[in-house]
Amino acid sequence: MIRLEDVSKRYPNGTAALQDVDLTIEHGDFAFLVGSSGAGKSTLIRLLIREELPTTGRVLVDGKDVVRLRRSQIPNLRRTVGVVFQDFKLLPTKTVAENVGFALLVTGHDGRTVREETDRVLALVGLTHRRGHFPRELSGGEQQRVAIARALVNGPRVLIADEPTGNLDPVTSWEIIKLLTRVQELGTTLVMATHNAEIVNALRRRVIHLDHGAVVRDEREGSYAA
Amino acid sequence: MRRVGYVLTAAWQGFWRNPVMSIAATLTVSLMLLLFAFFIVTDRGLQAAVGALESKVELVLYLDDGAKPSDVLALKARIEQDPAVSRVDYVTKQQALDRLRELAQRKEDFTVADLGSNPLPNSLEIKLANAQDTDRLATSLKEELGHGVVTDVIDNPTVVEKLLTITRVLSIGGVAVLAMMLFVALFVIVNTIRIAVHARRDEIEIMQLVGATDWFVSWPFIFEGMLVGTLGALVALAVLAAASRPVTSALVGFLDILPVSLGPNFVLELGLGVLAFALLVGGFGASFSVRSQLAKGARA
Repeated sequence: MIRLEDVSKRYPNGTAALQDVDLTIEHGDFAFLVGSSGAGKSTLIRLLIREELPTTGRVLVDGKDVVRLRRSQIPNLRRTVGVVFQDFKLLPTKTVAENVGFALLVTGHDGRTVREETDRVLALVGLTHRRGHFPRELSGGEQQRVAIARALVNGPRVLIADEPTGNLDPVTSWEIIKLLTRVQELGTTLVMATHNAEIVNALRRRVIHLDHGAVVRDEREGSYAA
Repeated sequence: MRRVGYVLTAAWQGFWRNPVMSIAATLTVSLMLLLFAFFIVTDRGLQAAVGALESKVELVLYLDDGAKPSDVLALKARIEQDPAVSRVDYVTKQQALDRLRELAQRKEDFTVADLGSNPLPNSLEIKLANAQDTDRLATSLKEELGHGVVTDVIDNPTVVEKLLTITRVLSIGGVAVLAMMLFVALFVIVNTIRIAVHARRDEIEIMQLVGATDWFVSWPFIFEGMLVGTLGALVALAVLAAASRPVTSALVGFLDILPVSLGPNFVLELGLGVLAFALLVGGFGASFSVRSQLAKGARA
């Protein structure tokens, strides 16, 4: 479960990125974040993974107030929240399997667990046959599937996707969306920021519309535009 | 075990990712450590020299030939009570002459003519425990002049005073030079690791995003810094090993007759000291430069 209570974020340069945002996303939900560039979507996501702190308000993820986490507890938060980005953020010098296994390795799992879990999520995203390849040898859609596999390998309760289809063609975008939908159906809370109107309109899921840092629309089965 | 392997591998790869910078940093560390070692060797040598000289410092009282033995013994007992005095020896005229003859035999350009009578006086040789008390004791002993026992007080502490001044100057100057070199070495290591950190900032960001702890992210860099330190120490120690024989003989030659010994474990101590110092500087410099990057990924 994700809850934002009276959250405002003002950057040091004076930009008000979020203003008085109140929001609850139940466990297992699927919510789109929409709005023009600069509306506050990315800031909201950064608050959820504690890359930024809110100026005021409380941010609860999986029952924990992330604002009050000590620095040493941040890694634990990040293990319960998987993140997928528009630019994939894969390590170019590591293979597909290494990129995925990396997320387990850094959290101190033994080699056997790393291998088994990596195989499991690679099968889930359909990339078992690509495990030995490097990111540059993959298509954009395949790279994004690697990123999703990496986000999932720690078994997160929440998956956050920041414009996951922003760099992909329409057909590949649909493949990624189908994959993410399946992940959500398996019980993971999914929050996706997107500019892709076609996908939002087709899926008819919850839509949270941000404009100038404020929630201007929140519909259970919404569309991209009001 | 897996983690240790990961950290060591990552550190080794990090070192060779930017070899020019890493080697420059290593050589800077070597240079600093060489100065460090040179300073310690010189300081130790001079301290040994001062110690040897201090133990040689003595005051000599020339005695009147007609002085009564009981007066001489009383004077000797009085001097021995002074805490700065380690021992007092009575040297007869004959002993003094024998000593002079013996010395003459060893030096070619020096002969003792056959004298009809012995011109050397009986004397008291006073050895001091602490060279700094020479002046005070000499002054108080000069009060004995003219009472029919002591005819002259011989003191010559200037050599010791000069050596003490040299060691003091060297200590202060050495510490200053060391501090500067330490600063330079730290600066170079911090910069080297900063470049390595910057080159891998994407990797660091991703590690932080998937939940790596700060320590997990930092250790490879800290080990890389320690690797720079260790390699620098090895280069410095190799140079020291090659140079130690000529330097030691030059040092002993310079201080000439003094029995200067640096101690049996000195080389081992110096090596370990240099290595520990290098590890500290490398590890500390690296953790300093990785910290700023870590702070960007997680606002605390």
